[in-house]
Amino acid sequence: MTPAPIVEVDHFRMDFGNTTVIHDLSFDVRRGETFGFLGSNGSGKTTTLRALLGIYRPTAGRLLIDGTPFDPDFAHRLGYLPEERGLYKKESVIDVMTYFGRLKGLDKHEALTWSMEYLERVEIADKAKTRVDKLSGGQQQKVQLGVTIMNQPELLILDEPTKGFDPVNRRLLMDIIDEQRAAGATVLMVTHQMEEVERLCDRIILLKDGAARAYGTVTEVQEEFGGLTITLDYAGALPESADYDVVSHGDGHAVLSVDNGADLAGILRALIDAGVTVSRFEPRRRSLDDIFVEIYGDELSGEKGEE
Amino acid sequence: MARHNLRTVIGFEFGRNLSKPRFWIITLVVPIALMVVFVLVLLSNTSTSATADAQKNAHIKFSYLDESGVVDDALAAKLGGSPATDPAAAIAAVKAGTSQAFFDYPADPAKQSVKVYGQDKDIFANGVYSSVAQSLLQLSAQQKLDSPKLVQLASGGVNSVTVTYRDGHETAGFNGLIAPILYLVAFYLLIILLGNQMLASTLEEKENRVTEMILTTINPTSLILGKIISLFALGLVQIVVFALPLVVAYALFRTQLNIPTLDLSHLSLDPQQMLVGALILIGGFALFTGTLVAIGAVMPTAKDAGPIFGILMILIFIPFYIVTLVVSDPTAPIVELFSWFPYSAPVTALLRNAFGTLPLWQGLTLGVGLLVLAAIVLRIAVQLFRYGSIEYGRRVSLRGALARRRGFAEQQPR
Repeated sequence: MTPAPIVEVDHFRMDFGNTTVIHDLSFDVRRGETFGFLGSNGSGKTTTLRALLGIYRPTAGRLLIDGTPFDPDFAHRLGYLPEERGLYKKESVIDVMTYFGRLKGLDKHEALTWSMEYLERVEIADKAKTRVDKLSGGQQQKVQLGVTIMNQPELLILDEPTKGFDPVNRRLLMDIIDEQRAAGATVLMVTHQMEEVERLCDRIILLKDGAARAYGTVTEVQEEFGGLTITLDYAGALPESADYDVVSHGDGHAVLSVDNGADLAGILRALIDAGVTVSRFEPRRRSLDDIFVEIYGDELSGEKGEE
Repeated sequence: MARHNLRTVIGFEFGRNLSKPRFWIITLVVPIALMVVFVLVLLSNTSTSATADAQKNAHIKFSYLDESGVVDDALAAKLGGSPATDPAAAIAAVKAGTSQAFFDYPADPAKQSVKVYGQDKDIFANGVYSSVAQSLLQLSAQQKLDSPKLVQLASGGVNSVTVTYRDGHETAGFNGLIAPILYLVAFYLLIILLGNQMLASTLEEKENRVTEMILTTINPTSLILGKIISLFALGLVQIVVFALPLVVAYALFRTQLNIPTLDLSHLSLDPQQMLVGALILIGGFALFTGTLVAIGAVMPTAKDAGPIFGILMILIFIPFYIVTLVVSDPTAPIVELFSWFPYSAPVTALLRNAFGTLPLWQGLTLGVGLLVLAAIVLRIAVQLFRYGSIEYGRRVSLRGALARRRGFAEQQPR
């Protein structure tokens, strides 16, 4: 029997005044999986997470964690890294960490011990008694991460976790996510980093205009959006063909889009027969990056235009 | 879990405020100022008293002319005086330096001034002449009365005991005022000292962007209750620190500082007044705290919250503009209005309660009413914090934040 999902979102709708931000969203997150929550800016990802965590009250629908609406009593099983981050700035690092540790169900000794071990691991143990606002931005990020995972959470919710992180902390974050996954935690993450999604996520959902545009495993979503691309280095004139679409071309380089199950050998032969000198012919499944651009391309270009 | 979290919040908030130098600077500035004043008064009293004694006991040679007939010659001789007959000659002798001083007592010293002539010493030491001249006259007058009782009465040493009745029962008078007025003092101290901290308590989460982390970790009701309880405890620490120099001064330097003796045996504790006072103090404190927390949740920064905070502070001082009416005519419409308006009610009602002009039914109604209103405001404050403090960096409308609870907020999320 399949275990019940740890997160269930069922026909969720969210209105802000006369604006409907989320129309009718349903998805679930299975225990132990890493789930990617994708979408362009303003597509409703953070709103959904906030509604899931009880910060917003949904207009309609059900959002459940472990079968019930979120209650702060679940805090000792949750690790949440919000998009808007901050800590008590005028307190010492160790006081802030111990405070959150205690609120997350650890006793004082446990919270203190764990915090010191973590600070040593991330090489800021000497800052334990320093006020948070005296730390550099990167050091504050490390403390924030520590606070998020100090209770060994069953469910880790990360809203744009790498946003604003320097490369060192990004690496640290990725290691921590890997460790949490290995320890059996469920990870639900909002991100724009498609390479992270491809590397980490078991399943994903793509949100557009407040509704799910795609939902499934990474492979399923890739197959749903046109299967393959061919990267081509060539000389000569690229002929038109019903077997492929030219996504981009110029300077002897082109990207072709072909359907799943297309006859790749036939396409290569047709190119050569048309007098094209092919020096590189590299078919591959369409990247999530490509799919993202295809789905949100109009919005992204609009944003650029506005800029 | 909620109780554990409440304890954790109280411990954290209490501990971190107590460890801040700013808290101790604010807390200690008043007692230190009081101690400085006490020391100055002490030194000044010691010095004045020593100077007066020295002047009184100073042995000078003087001549005197007494037209009043009050001065006792034997007493004058003891003090170094000798009668003179010609004032002009006596003054000339002083001028010439052959006599230290000359006192010219008029016929009616009660209405006319005693003229004192002396050789100049310095501006302070010259006081010795008038001091000796007056002492001689007073001692001579007391001697003429020849009765310690009359002497005491003449010097104003009269005590009286007043007994007053209301509705057939003896009232406590001034002694009955002391205990219940302490509630008013406690209310002012708590609000003035802690008002800013109440306001900042929820603003801090907002300004530091901790709201989301905290809202998913602890129930906002526990958080806000924990903050309020820790603030109350901090207020008590401040009151104790404030009271300490007064207690020390009273216990050790009562005489030197001219502090009247506090006879606790005459202190009247009317259970009804004490109960009503406690109820109004707690209700008023809770109402102001809840309101300040709500303001903190709605306003983006402490600076933005300042004007509204100022209005609340004015409301607790306004009743003092009508304090004479509060005491003398408690049924006046303006007093009634201030008694029932929630934000002026605590001060007005505590004053009336202390002066015994607040009927029991009204005191209980006000106390319970303030508590109920405080509970409602606190509930709203929690909702505003839960749904309003997420709006970092901008002001939240009351309607918007409360509507968000139902999922119909007006503002677009970030």
